[in-house]
Amino acid sequence: MRSPSYPALPGAPAGSVRRTIRALLVLAVTAGLAAVVPAAGAAAPAKASTTTTTAADATSGIAATPYMGWSSWSMQSSSYPGLNPNGNYSYLTEANVLKQTDALASKLKQYGYDYVNIDAGWWMDNNWKPGYDQYGRQTPDPVRFPNGMKSVADHIHSKGLKAGIYLPVGLEKGAYGDGKVPIWNAPGCTTADIVYSDLRTTNGWDSSYKLDFSNPCAQKYIDSQAQMFADWGYDFLKLDGVGPGSFKSGDNYNNVADVAAWHTAIAATGRPIHLELSWSLDINHAADWKQYSNGWRIETDVECYCNTLVTWENSVNDRWNDAPAWSNKAGPGGWNDLDAIDVGNGAMDGLTKAERQSYMTLWAINKSPLFTGDDLTQLDSYGVSLLTNKEVIAVDQNTSPVARPVTPVGDQQVWGTKNSDGSYTVALFNLGDSPASVTANWAAFGFTGNASVRDLWNKANLGTYKNKITEVLPAHGSRLFTINPGGKTLATTSYEAEAAGNTLTGNASVAGCDACSGGKKVGNLYSGSTLRFNDVTVKKDGIYTVKVAYVSGDPRSVTVYSNSGNGTSLKFPSTGDWSTAETVSVQLALKAGSNTITFDSGSNGYAPDIDKIDVPQSV
Amino acid sequence: MDIQHTESRDNRPNRRGFLALAAAAGVGTALGGLPAFTASAAPLRPTDSPLLSAADAAKNQLWWQAPGSSNSMIEQGLPVGNGRLGALASNDPSSELLMITDATLWTGGLNDTLQSDGQFPYGRSDFGSLTLLAKLTVDIPDHDLSSVSNYRRSLDLAQGLVSASYVISGVTYRRQVFASLPDDAIVLYFDQQGSGTYTGTVSLAGTHGESTTASSAGRYASFGASFANGLKYGAAVTAYSSSGKVAVSGTSISFSGCKDLTVVVSGGTNYAPDAAAKFRDPSVDPERLARTKVLNAAGHSASTLLHTHVADFRPVFEQLDIDLGTSSATQRELDTWERVQARYRDNVPDPELEAAYLQFGRYLMISGSRGSLPMGLQGPWLDGNDPDWMGDYHTDINIQMNYWMADRAGLSDCFDAFTDYCLAQLPAWTDVTQRLFNDSTNRYRNSSGKIAGWTVAISTNPYGGGGWWWHPAGNAWLCQSLFEHYEYTQDRAYLNKVYPLLKGAVEFWEARLITTTVTDASGASREVLIADSDWSPEQGPLDAKGITYAQELVWNLFGNYRTATEVLGKDAGYTKTIDGLRERLYLPVVSPTTGWLEEWMSPDNLGETTHRHLSPLIGLFPGDRIRPDDSTPKDILDGATALLTARGMNSYGWANAWRSLCWARLKNAEKAYQLVVNNLKPSVGGSNGSAANLFDIMDMGQGRGIFQIEANFGTPAAIIEMLVYSRPGHVELLPALPAAWAASGSVSGVGVRGGFVADISWKNGKVTSAKLTSVGGRSTTVLAGSASAKVSLQPGQSVTLRNLG
Repeated sequence: MRSPSYPALPGAPAGSVRRTIRALLVLAVTAGLAAVVPAAGAAAPAKASTTTTTAADATSGIAATPYMGWSSWSMQSSSYPGLNPNGNYSYLTEANVLKQTDALASKLKQYGYDYVNIDAGWWMDNNWKPGYDQYGRQTPDPVRFPNGMKSVADHIHSKGLKAGIYLPVGLEKGAYGDGKVPIWNAPGCTTADIVYSDLRTTNGWDSSYKLDFSNPCAQKYIDSQAQMFADWGYDFLKLDGVGPGSFKSGDNYNNVADVAAWHTAIAATGRPIHLELSWSLDINHAADWKQYSNGWRIETDVECYCNTLVTWENSVNDRWNDAPAWSNKAGPGGWNDLDAIDVGNGAMDGLTKAERQSYMTLWAINKSPLFTGDDLTQLDSYGVSLLTNKEVIAVDQNTSPVARPVTPVGDQQVWGTKNSDGSYTVALFNLGDSPASVTANWAAFGFTGNASVRDLWNKANLGTYKNKITEVLPAHGSRLFTINPGGKTLATTSYEAEAAGNTLTGNASVAGCDACSGGKKVGNLYSGSTLRFNDVTVKKDGIYTVKVAYVSGDPRSVTVYSNSGNGTSLKFPSTGDWSTAETVSVQLALKAGSNTITFDSGSNGYAPDIDKIDVPQSV
Repeated sequence: MDIQHTESRDNRPNRRGFLALAAAAGVGTALGGLPAFTASAAPLRPTDSPLLSAADAAKNQLWWQAPGSSNSMIEQGLPVGNGRLGALASNDPSSELLMITDATLWTGGLNDTLQSDGQFPYGRSDFGSLTLLAKLTVDIPDHDLSSVSNYRRSLDLAQGLVSASYVISGVTYRRQVFASLPDDAIVLYFDQQGSGTYTGTVSLAGTHGESTTASSAGRYASFGASFANGLKYGAAVTAYSSSGKVAVSGTSISFSGCKDLTVVVSGGTNYAPDAAAKFRDPSVDPERLARTKVLNAAGHSASTLLHTHVADFRPVFEQLDIDLGTSSATQRELDTWERVQARYRDNVPDPELEAAYLQFGRYLMISGSRGSLPMGLQGPWLDGNDPDWMGDYHTDINIQMNYWMADRAGLSDCFDAFTDYCLAQLPAWTDVTQRLFNDSTNRYRNSSGKIAGWTVAISTNPYGGGGWWWHPAGNAWLCQSLFEHYEYTQDRAYLNKVYPLLKGAVEFWEARLITTTVTDASGASREVLIADSDWSPEQGPLDAKGITYAQELVWNLFGNYRTATEVLGKDAGYTKTIDGLRERLYLPVVSPTTGWLEEWMSPDNLGETTHRHLSPLIGLFPGDRIRPDDSTPKDILDGATALLTARGMNSYGWANAWRSLCWARLKNAEKAYQLVVNNLKPSVGGSNGSAANLFDIMDMGQGRGIFQIEANFGTPAAIIEMLVYSRPGHVELLPALPAAWAASGSVSGVGVRGGFVADISWKNGKVTSAKLTSVGGRSTTVLAGSASAKVSLQPGQSVTLRNLG
């Protein structure tokens, strides 16, 4: 949840709030750009942690694979007719949670959906006024949850499902009570002891006082909340508004200590509780999130805060741009959370069929948690087919690495990953507004010749395809395949960017790069700088699939052309930081004999750093 | 150079060969055309299949791997047309959409009340606009695009056929769309291989708020209405199948469980190309006629309708064949849109694509210009009722460029629509000119106070009306095109038919020219005749006397008029008078300031350096007063070259095409070629270039690109002009052959001014064989490289030349 959780905010049109947030984002991005040090050797990477605490969780069963289930927030956030009759976010009630629990159990549980997650507001009345117990802990609103939270969890458990609950990070202002509120099971500690004396605020809405963990009382407060949830029988906690992230940065909004405290507190309860972080977590702290939690929302809410649950433009389609940076961050114990998967009911979701399929496809290949925010009592048959396709769910749940784009990312995209059995999962996307064909070249995956193609959505074996597959996709559409190579490994010749025979112009320069082949790359490709490979030789005229290894801490465009061509100018997806190399493949015509291949930043552009190119030895 | 005469009458030109083939196929109306929308005799049906084998058809097929979006039909719809009815087809498996235009469905009228500035109103109700006739949809809900594989869509240029195929659950579904001239209808045929069936709905909707009604007894749906200008129009659709159920349901036709389905749609207006009848045929009831046509057609199988159509279409297409060289295997693997993108990305020549671009232009002309109104800014292919500039005829470049290709590219007969249009408009043009041109508010009026003949506005409609501003020299340019058609055909009857147009234009200029004194470079002064106040299209001063554009066009007009009077034996005395005027005409000089041929009678550049129009170069192309040979003073040639250079290489599609033609005339092959290549640049986000369907897109800014058809004709004209240059008595082979096409190639069926058709082959940039066939010409000189040969032929005779150069 990103939006207006607090009394000052409800009533403000959701749209205006979103615009405000967008405006802030723009400012932040602008400021960020001004500070950008272009390319080579820039920005130290977040240090990878050697601690594997949550990976240990995975072995005990928590987040061994991305979790699946249902969440209340999508419907709470929507002005779709009838969902929130008693005011904003009023959908969240015991009756609705139990109704959805029953629907989940009967319709989706058999496919692996097992979490029922109560989102923001369980301690708020319909005017969004919070309630706390005598220890400053959130207490259920008696109108929403007349039987308390334990009874709800018990019902969820009775259906063989798991129960999830929610909190914002920090000490909520309303719980402070002039600093005199005692902390449960912590003699001598009061709320005054757990926050800073200047009452500095924290979280994405500045709705809490920041906890000061230099005083052990603060940990005690978290322990008291964790114990309460354990006592009620909850299996999952979404901690929201966490920074750096949640559109906030700076010391006051650094909640790493809070997350660590929650990790400790949960362990102390002895109850396995999945800890999920929200929202737009700072990728530079990925190691922290990985150390202390089981999943992290990589971006803002998927919901539109409009009269449907989501819309394509706001913000489902942003995820194609957001996700690649995080591809290396996920694994057993902690996953990249792309947010709710609202594909179950076309009218309520606000999406076309093609958009719903693409949404589910992207989430699956990214191994995002699969929790739907739909009304499970009103799934349409197409929605059921999307949510219950076992082959697609397996893509989300299997042991393959998270997929990445294998082409630069324009309106038409190809993503893929190699599976443990030697096959490839390949997704085609058309983000354009018209139908378009999209081609996956086998060469982009490193093999050539014939391969058999399984169409996962249509549950059909399409037969054998030589060197590539091209399929038509509707506007905003997708296809998802399993490709079994039957041919050979593609023989390629590598050309290093740093090779002496290349021509560098403008600011372009060679820099060290531990992740790069040869330990070097060419960077500083900005403001009209170019890198030209001068002697790329092939035996035959033709159009070649050239694989480019590159490093780019953010998505960056570069024009790539051969000889006198005009080339293509598309974004290379982020590699997540400036010390990780990834590859994309581009199509270029080469003639028999010697050719040049040039990477040009463009006069006002910033291009990725280039490590090397691999050129197939035959067309 | 060897010369081998062929006397055989079997070796007649392609155009006549076509006539014979069409006659054999029994299509009597093939060339006569349909005068507007009217009852037509039942077509005679071919007894043998005229279809090409799949392998032969592949040579002239464009193909794609995605259907068009209903929101982007102008860029992605595939065009079909029967010369009057045009349609764009989406080929979406679950929702076939046809946007159907009738070339005569125009709002507006004579528009003969001038504005206070003496110029013409230019709105959709007064001047009028071409508009859409109907939208036809065939919904097949089960065939969702997400569930199909192996989707392929093609445009068969030689057979006039759009096809799409795809696989769902192992069944291959296929559809064909064609616009038949003999049956005067558009046909959609759906079939499948396997056990598949079609279930869905056929809907026909007007685009001006009409109500469609359906008759369950008659198995058709139709609508009819009329515009405020009194034009009546209507359309009808019917559907049938060999299996399953087809029935009228509400205002639509539903079908279920059909192994195949045929849908026939037609429509039209009661427009008549007759000024005396105020451009209406009151006897026509368009809705009823449309019903009759679709029900008549529905009496035949889809296969019969297709054979009838192909027997009509294919011979016209086959009047020209072109081979610019062989593309690579990897280029051939790509679909048309991928190929356009790769051509730009890699800047590697794709001779087969470049040849296909020419053939696509020919396809559009055959589909859009037979038997009805000529093609204007978009031809009969609209995606809405508000086409830019009304989809009208622009007389300061548009309609002329559209038809530059016709004679050059073996489509002489498609030129008839242009001729018929001018003839039908002439009475109204004459009336409006003589009543209104000298209005005191018109800044372009004749200062002499005299008025005679006719002229036009910059925009013209089909009701005799002009739009926007007066365009005094427009008459001369239209006549330039009309006369050039005579030069190609040497058809005396044709010349006699258009003679009133020529003479009226001459009379207009006789009344308009004014006298002034100029001082030559030598310091000598002389009295010359110049055009009265005018605007060099569409830039610079609004009131300039003696603009180069007008001087060149009048010089050309007077010269052609003399030839016409000689050929026809008419008006010998008057032509002497006109010759006298021609001798006194001022002709442009080179500016000492810019070094350019002057556009205005001024050494200064009074306009935009890179302006899109090449009006001051009209004597280089389409005229040929300025030639890269000894006949043209070097300073004039240099000045023209410098002006063309200054105009640049990157403009709108039609402007690039004109530039290419000029560079071809200057024998600069690589510049001419680069401009062709520039027009093949993929249009992205509305940028200048070619859309996925190869329609030329003009960038209007803010991401909006619009279709302007001239480049689709002007660019092919440039390709031909690079291969063959001709004027009466003179033919040059390969005058501007670019390196990209030099290795080997051939072209047959190229029209040659002077009354010939040329077939040539080349290797390594040299002509290896050239055949010249007379379609009326008697003698000419053929030049190839350093060789030349005088050729004398009787009409119908051929000669083959070898070992040239």
